Amino acid sequence: MSGKVITVTSGKGGVGKTTVTANIATALAMMGKKVVAIDADIGLRNLDVVMGLENRIVYDLVDVIEGRCRLRQAMIKDKRQPDLYLIPAAQTRDKMAVSPSDMILVCDELRQEMDYIIVDSPAGIERGFRNAVAPADHVLIVTNPEVSAVRDADRIIGLLEAEEKGPGRLIINRLKPDMVARGDMLSIDDVLDILAVELIGVIPEDESILVSSNRGTPVAMSGSNGSSASQAFRNVAQRIEGQTVPFVDLTPKTGLLSRLNNWFSKS
Amino acid sequence: MEQVASQIGIKGIREGLLISVPDRGSFADLMALLNVELAQKQAFLQGSQVALQVGYRKLDKDHLRQLQAVFEQNQLELWAILAEDPSAREAARDLSLATRLSGSQTDLNGNFLSQMPEPGAATAVAPQPPQGGLILKETLRSGRSIYHEGHVVIIGDVNPGAEIVASGDVIVWGRLRGLVHAGALGDETAVICALELNPTQLRIADQIAISPEEKRGRTIPEQVAIRNGQIVAEMWQK
Repeated sequence: MSGKVITVTSGKGGVGKTTVTANIATALAMMGKKVVAIDADIGLRNLDVVMGLENRIVYDLVDVIEGRCRLRQAMIKDKRQPDLYLIPAAQTRDKMAVSPSDMILVCDELRQEMDYIIVDSPAGIERGFRNAVAPADHVLIVTNPEVSAVRDADRIIGLLEAEEKGPGRLIINRLKPDMVARGDMLSIDDVLDILAVELIGVIPEDESILVSSNRGTPVAMSGSNGSSASQAFRNVAQRIEGQTVPFVDLTPKTGLLSRLNNWFSKS
Repeated sequence: MEQVASQIGIKGIREGLLISVPDRGSFADLMALLNVELAQKQAFLQGSQVALQVGYRKLDKDHLRQLQAVFEQNQLELWAILAEDPSAREAARDLSLATRLSGSQTDLNGNFLSQMPEPGAATAVAPQPPQGGLILKETLRSGRSIYHEGHVVIIGDVNPGAEIVASGDVIVWGRLRGLVHAGALGDETAVICALELNPTQLRIADQIAISPEEKRGRTIPEQVAIRNGQIVAEMWQK
């Protein structure tokens, strides 16, 4: 068995890499896959908090690399999903504690027994980013529908192409359909127009994400009666598995009058 | 002869080679000197563009034609004469040779080049961009920078945050949304063309322009050039 390494990155900070990592790992685990999430943000770890596993940390990624524990000992088993694990980042060290070849070694070992290894990249384009991308088979680029996030995503795609990691696939996070409809936010088409890469998910802005992150319960876990964001994350997981899932229509429901208006302004 | 030969200085500058020759001695001696020196180093120098620094030597058009021929024989192109003598400069201009280096008045070693343009004299004549152009068949994403002496053709988009600096023209077969500087060594005749023109900033020679604030709905090919001292965009098809 040889698992796939998927790195989640963005360039810009605060666009939702960690949230996306936690939810996609969770959603894949709910589909019966064996999944491990790795927090590569050494020194600024978050993924353990979002997954609600902070209080179970004994060993971390740097302990594994520096030989203080076996890989298995650093893998924290999730509270709810039997086949979901987390390898947390060290809190006290910095990015230089890990090298790209260390990451490749760790991931190659994990490939033996896991279906998916999801790596949460730190923001930026320096050592931490290179560490996270080095072992990747696939890259997911997270961006928000705003100009600065798209600019950074574009830079990241350029760097990935230069490293021959492929163009990556895009997740547009925190989309507000009503703002797009008013013309106050970049639309999906605007973003794709610049980045010109394959879209694998659109996550609508959803208050339940903040609530669930604070609680340490990824929103993807909230089952079929969950929020729209919950459904969107599960759709991404299915697309990663190779299934064809239609994109949820996020255009706000409009009355006859405004539809007529739209129709006239288009022509 | 050995002693005289060492008086020929050759160094690399941004525009190619700067060759300086002594301003004393007869013209015939100079020609002999150049012939020997260039023939010796031909393999190393050939294909370069040459600016010739002649100091106070008096040269007429006939002399300059002979110099051009000598460089040509050695597969070098003479494009500039840097002379202290006004009549020599005049003769050089008549043969459409440049009489000063463009841009900064210093060479790569930081030495200040002595000749400055006289007030009212013809302004800088930019070197002809090299014949070779650079063709890139890819989209330039944010953070990419392309610097090239000559023309640049991009088959793909130029995204915001990417920049192209070229001494010649810049053609974008795609959407231009980044920064382009054409004629970067001072060529005001350089143009920028794009299928869809929506740049963050455009520069031609020492002129700078930004796109109008309002978003334009039309997406038609346009060409940008300097007209009457201003950068203007014109529709490709009138």
